[in-house]
Amino acid sequence: MRRPTKSCPFCESRVRWVDYKDDRTLGRFITDQGKILPSRLSGVCARHQRQLATAIKRARFLALIPYIRGHQA
Amino acid sequence: MPRTYEAVYIFDSTLEDTAISEKIKRFNALLHTTEQPEIAHWGRRQLAYSIGAKDNGYYVVSKFATEASSLPEYERALRLDDGVIRYLITLHEHEVGAPPQSEEELAAATRRDDDDDDED
Repeated sequence: MRRPTKSCPFCESRVRWVDYKDDRTLGRFITDQGKILPSRLSGVCARHQRQLATAIKRARFLALIPYIRGHQA
Repeated sequence: MPRTYEAVYIFDSTLEDTAISEKIKRFNALLHTTEQPEIAHWGRRQLAYSIGAKDNGYYVVSKFATEASSLPEYERALRLDDGVIRYLITLHEHEVGAPPQSEEELAAATRRDDDDDDED
């Protein structure tokens, strides 16, 4: 049976470009470990998933979100 | 042709605010921009992970239009500055984030959210 299609949260809120400085939004699209959530789980469309991946990587570099969550250096 | 860039600086949080403003002024002078860059101070924030021995940083976001040829000198100054923990310069060709929603759209979005809750 086909699963009901999920709609892209970015398209729904009319976001054209995903902002790497918005750590609260990006935080919704990473797992408990800090990995990028796959689009099949989040329902993000391909176009926004590409932008999201870049945005998350930039936010990690700027220490806005962690590379690994729960990691003690 | 000048292009629009966005730079995020993370300064050492132990620096005085006046010292930070001075540094920003010095960096901006290297860009040779005609218009004054748009500066947004985020202030002191905790870093998501420690960088070196530092757990806090002072974030500043700057938006400016400049020629690509002036960037290497500017970036070199950023790299050599001990007060800058980290920086990121990105091209800013598009408006990022969500556009402001009208009241009708907001109401529609809330209704949709309510519907979703019913399904679960």
